Amino acid sequence: MFAAGVTLIVSACGGASTSAAGCTIGVSWNNYQEERWAKWDEPAIKKAITDAGGKYISNDAKSSAETQASNVDNLISQGAKVVIVLAQDGTAIKPAVAKAISGGVPVISYDRLIEDPKALYITFDNVLVGKLEAEAVFKAKPKGNYAIIKGNKADANADFLRSGMEQVIGAAVKAGDIKIVGETYTDNWDPAKAQTNMEQILTANKNAVDAVLSENDGMAGGVIAALTAQGLAGKVPVSGQDGDKAALNRVALGTQTVDVWKDARLLGKTAGEAATQLCGSADVSKVKNTAIFKTPGGNSVSSILLTPNPITQANLKEVLDAGWVTKADLCQGVAAGKVSACG
Amino acid sequence: MGVSVPTEAAPESGSRSTLSAVVAPITGALRLLEVDTRLLGMLGALLIIWFGFNILSGGTFLSPRNLWNLSVQSASIAIMATGMVLIIVSRNIDLSVGSMLGFLGYTMAMIQAVFIPNDLGFGHEQPFIWIVTLVLGIALGALVGGLQGFVVAYGGVPSFIVTLGGLLVWRGLIFRYAQGQTIAPLESTFQMLGGGTVGTRVGALGEWPSWTVGLVMCLAIVYLQIASRRRRRRYGFPVRPMWAEGLVGAVSCGAVLGVVWVANSYPLPVNVALQYAEEHGITVPPEGLFIPTGVAFPVVIMLIVTLVVTFLATRRRFGRYVYAIGGNPDAAALAGINVRRTIMLSFALMGSLAAISAAVQTARLNAAVTNLGVQNELDVISAAVIGGTSFSGGIGTVPGAILGAVVMQSLRSGMVLLLVDSPTQDIVVGLVLVAAVGLDTFVRRGVR
Repeated sequence: MFAAGVTLIVSACGGASTSAAGCTIGVSWNNYQEERWAKWDEPAIKKAITDAGGKYISNDAKSSAETQASNVDNLISQGAKVVIVLAQDGTAIKPAVAKAISGGVPVISYDRLIEDPKALYITFDNVLVGKLEAEAVFKAKPKGNYAIIKGNKADANADFLRSGMEQVIGAAVKAGDIKIVGETYTDNWDPAKAQTNMEQILTANKNAVDAVLSENDGMAGGVIAALTAQGLAGKVPVSGQDGDKAALNRVALGTQTVDVWKDARLLGKTAGEAATQLCGSADVSKVKNTAIFKTPGGNSVSSILLTPNPITQANLKEVLDAGWVTKADLCQGVAAGKVSACG
Repeated sequence: MGVSVPTEAAPESGSRSTLSAVVAPITGALRLLEVDTRLLGMLGALLIIWFGFNILSGGTFLSPRNLWNLSVQSASIAIMATGMVLIIVSRNIDLSVGSMLGFLGYTMAMIQAVFIPNDLGFGHEQPFIWIVTLVLGIALGALVGGLQGFVVAYGGVPSFIVTLGGLLVWRGLIFRYAQGQTIAPLESTFQMLGGGTVGTRVGALGEWPSWTVGLVMCLAIVYLQIASRRRRRRYGFPVRPMWAEGLVGAVSCGAVLGVVWVANSYPLPVNVALQYAEEHGITVPPEGLFIPTGVAFPVVIMLIVTLVVTFLATRRRFGRYVYAIGGNPDAAALAGINVRRTIMLSFALMGSLAAISAAVQTARLNAAVTNLGVQNELDVISAAVIGGTSFSGGIGTVPGAILGAVVMQSLRSGMVLLLVDSPTQDIVVGLVLVAAVGLDTFVRRGVR
């Protein structure tokens, strides 16, 4: 099902490439220091643009919302016809984005939402990520005591993820089959804090915790360290997302149930191709495969929401085939013959 | 009362004398005991916090299990707080400890999970990996800290600025050379340093070694007391009366043995114990197995660090110099103290302590992550300050800082136990920090 959606996007964008010849596309990164953007996203965006005959330029706001506002202006004065923005602050960037759009330069909000009805929003579906995390854990433990380890309170994604989880476990919680015995936000998504919180939840409940919904992989690592100390790792299902090497290794070892994987290369490619289409026609609603997304701020924006891929022991082979991790990293410490992907 | 103007002094001294008639025997006894009254106040506050949380949590807070967790959770901050005391006492500050910890933790993770097994081709899980990693980490920590200290002491740049720079530089370096990836899993013996569990190996001393260590520490305390008495006699200084000496010894010994007793009251978790029994051919009795866990390795490390740094601070020339510089830097320099060298060494010590904490934290998490140690500098400085270290220099004790770290962590983990959300936790911890220092200042002014 997921693969079908991906091929659709790819084939649809092939035909639009001619319109991008000689077109300059600018990318405003919020913080290029974070490894992910440099390693996975940028090469994919760049390739999609240059394959279509366009030119790639970029700058880095170094985590400053003010810098990013002037960076968007700079990209346009350098000749960018389309701007892709990875927003540092989705609200603070609004005036700069509105100015670009009114000047005839379409804007793509990349990965993070910008509340402007005329910008094209491209991201992985975060509510769906939460739903997929919960589905895998719910399948393993449909009844019992649940602990929920959420991310940073100030990050809207923490609540998107949680609302996706609610779609899966909500009914069971109401029916009394699932009892939430601990639910906590985690400052800065800090794994060490998640570990301490999990230890305290286990202590308060005398280890009667049957499943843990952790919103990302880093925190899942902290949760599993706390479970290991009680001899519960591998017995209590735990979720995560991001496709961290260490987390995929834990999936192979059986201590983490699911790792919802969002291939950043797909996101970058999709954005690059959407940008090349916008070079020909500035109307974001005409970009292939867009749908209307209702934002928390009450706007209706054109969007492309990509489908994330839940990785469990059964389909670990997919991350290997995609070249996301090496077999040595994925299978470190896994006993021979236990997991098919590791042989 | 302390700010009274001279004209009011005469009538007030009368009322003061009646007050002192009541208080004098107590303060007199305390003076004979030579116990820091502020330390006693903090112990009192800690007991209030503990019993308060215990009532609110329905008896969970003071269970051996929670106290064991609390001791492990406090260890990493406490280890660094001992060094921060010396830094602050000498009128400096180190804002870089959190970033330094992240950088060193990451480096140690790379050494054991990538450099030694892959690049040098030794493979994973070699018996020497943990010690090589630890030694290299501590050496690098001393170097990194010493470098900052060099710029402070010999470059004349304020420590606030140097370490603020360090806070950015070391964190930036992690992103540069680690590309934001989590390094895991770590080598299994190294994991023991964090008090974690690998299979049936637990990062704790176990029952009898714990008692042994407790007794050895008791004997060490008594020995130090005797040695100190002898030295004081030799130089004609007053000594405590025997009853006071005995009381101090008994209380200190009791505290150490109490820690051991609590740690031994915490049994191995059921699943771990069952597996242990299976591996060692022990038949499980119907009422279940009770295998004492013992004192966790991070706590053992913390105790050793406390002893060593206390010794450095109170019995070595280096420590006396630090306090002298803090009391009056000009006088210290005129007295022939090598101020620059002492300052640089104190930063080098801080760096190596950050490395030890980094080992404990990464081992405990069984991973090195890019935001390892973020905001730890705030916790460490808070612990030192709650523990009675004064920003005006010259004042501060190592045991106080340990107590400060335990107070902070008690508040945090107690609130998690009661399911208080993290913003509220921050508000409470912030208020307690200001209240503790405010009260301390108030009391000190009143006493004078």
